[in-house]
Amino acid sequence: MSPETVVPPEGGRVVAVLERGPAGLAPVSLELAAGAKLLAEWLGLEARLVVLGDQPEELARQAAASGLPVMAVRVPGLTGFSGEVYRQVLAELLPRWRTAVLLAGHTTSGLDWLPGLAGRLDAACVSGVEGMRLAEGRLVLRRATMHGKLVEEIAPRAWPLCLTLQPGALASRVTTGNAPGAVEIIETAQPELRTKVEDLPGEANADAALSQAQVVVAAGLGVGGPENLELLRRLAARFPNSALAGSRPVCDLGWLPYRQQVGLTGATVNPRLYIACGISGARQHTVGMQGSGFIVAISHDPQAAIFNLADVCVVDDLPAFLQAFLDLI
Amino acid sequence: MRILVCCKQVAEPESLLLDQQGRPDPGVPARPKLAEWDARALEEALVLKESHPGVEVWAVTVGPAEADAVLQRALGMGADQAAHIIASDDPPSRPSGIAAWLAEFARGRGFDLILCGVMSEDAMQGLVGPMLAEVLDLPCATGAVSLALSPDNTGVRVEREMEGGRRQAVELPLPALVTVGASPRQPRYPSLSHLLRAKKAPRLRIEAQNLAQTPTREERRGLSLPQRQRAGLRLAGGSAEKAAQLRAILEERSLL
Ligand SMILES: Cc1cc2nc3c(=O)[nH]c(=O)nc-3n(C[C@H](O)[C@H](O)[C@H](O)COP(=O)(O)OP(=O)(O)OC[C@H]3O[C@@H](n4cnc5c(N)ncnc54)[C@H](O)[C@@H]3O)c2cc1C
Ligand SMILES: Nc1ncnc2c1ncn2[C@@H]1O[C@H](COP(=O)(O)O)[C@@H](O)[C@H]1O
Repeated sequence: MSPETVVPPEGGRVVAVLERGPAGLAPVSLELAAGAKLLAEWLGLEARLVVLGDQPEELARQAAASGLPVMAVRVPGLTGFSGEVYRQVLAELLPRWRTAVLLAGHTTSGLDWLPGLAGRLDAACVSGVEGMRLAEGRLVLRRATMHGKLVEEIAPRAWPLCLTLQPGALASRVTTGNAPGAVEIIETAQPELRTKVEDLPGEANADAALSQAQVVVAAGLGVGGPENLELLRRLAARFPNSALAGSRPVCDLGWLPYRQQVGLTGATVNPRLYIACGISGARQHTVGMQGSGFIVAISHDPQAAIFNLADVCVVDDLPAFLQAFLDLI
Repeated sequence: MRILVCCKQVAEPESLLLDQQGRPDPGVPARPKLAEWDARALEEALVLKESHPGVEVWAVTVGPAEADAVLQRALGMGADQAAHIIASDDPPSRPSGIAAWLAEFARGRGFDLILCGVMSEDAMQGLVGPMLAEVLDLPCATGAVSLALSPDNTGVRVEREMEGGRRQAVELPLPALVTVGASPRQPRYPSLSHLLRAKKAPRLRIEAQNLAQTPTREERRGLSLPQRQRAGLRLAGGSAEKAAQLRAILEERSLL
């Protein structure tokens, strides 16, 4: 296809590949369905959803509740996730389906299989999409860049277009109560593989107290050292039903145990109050706390990304501010 | 055994000051650094070098002349060789283009293992690694938190971390490409002796314009400051004044 084509090919499809979570469809899957619907409408294309697995029927049934048609691809032996299997199987199917736009989650699995496939399909590729719009008939995608301090808008100049959708970006677009879409089962053979994948027994990594706390005081690298955690502990102690949490690097350094980590690879929390102390606001952290009722952020970087989703921003040296605050309450 | 680590130079986030239009403040140049997960990838490579005889570690960067500083850093940490693919970063090259250049450099140089960061710390795309694997037709695993060579050095076993801390082990035959994520190993500091050597060590320099160019399939239409998702009330005054305001706000909402 000419690299200058700004409209997708007629008769093409928007295909969203859904994701399995620990129990049924992962939450991002519903947003992928919503995204596929929206893009299909804007671009005048047809939308369909895809689930893959050894026994894809149950996931397909859940996906059909979006109202869109679902292709349930049965891959013998695929009980968990394998990037190589996804890439091989989808490389066969996507061109057959005349895929003009391919959507996956901006997750550890979407980012594992989609970029290579985009390369194989000579596709345009944009990852971490947080918003989209039509501008003069052209699709424009929005994503965060420069440590979350800037937003860039990107327009595809070729099709197919492959994109990964940031979890939470289209949460408000998810619809329920649709007449179920048709499910078609597609049988495939297990592809020839070079990698061997094994799911490891999971650790119970979220602290129960953390997920139930009404107030979470969270430590980032900006606390400076484990000795300053005492200030945060004292702060947490001023609130009933509170818990101390940390960003990933704080847990990597052993300042807090991993079960107190909030974010993509940690716990998701929704307390009434979240106090982010010396946290810059990387997406991998904020996906775990963006649903909090009220967010207070403290950082000495006035342009830290965390301030864009805070209700109250405190630009200050952390220990100095916490000391002053503790003196008052 | 030869290991290649792809190292990107990024701006230190705190030093990056932007004006209302989102342009960097020319008066306060941002401090450059080696991207976080690339530093972790390099650390993993250096640990492999220390524990296996005959491992040679290369660092490669794509970027303007100033990006030589990351090669200096990599050599300072203990890399043996460095290569610089010289390309302007304004506007930044697209991931497929960077992957194509890295592939052209790597092809025929006998790398058994190529390591990338899971995503670049500034652009956060997570694309270059798996795209590079595709161009070179290498098996690939992303987001490794640990990696180990098989006893006969013909394969690598990685543990990758997924949502909510779930883990997966992936075994790949060499040559392979692995992207390194939130591995718990802290990147080491450059040593003085390595740094002294790094200053003089020769770099392989390649002009990107002499390499194959891929079509630009995505076009950046604009850059802007993010929209606030919440009120984002900024408290003013000294620490004590701000503390008093915060107390009042939390009390008003019955949060305190
Ligand atoms: C696959 C993957 C999964 C990940 N999963 C997670 C996850 O689940 N959870 C998570 O948190 N991260 C996760 N990360 C890491 C994430 O991308 C960020 O690196 C991390 O969240 C940054 O932590 P931080 O905000 O504590 O540190 P930094 O980004 O270093 O931010 C520190 C902040 O403190 C400020 N500061 C410094 N000193 C002071 C001071 N004296 N006073 C006031 N402010 C100060 C700084 O200006 C800055 O804003 C993951 C990364 C990857 C690649
Ligand atoms: N300009 C570059 N030079 C060297 N390596 C790069 C460059 N850009 C990206 N990479 C590698 O690819 C990884 C992912 O980058 P990205 O796709 O931009 O998120 C980085 O962590 C690096 O290992």
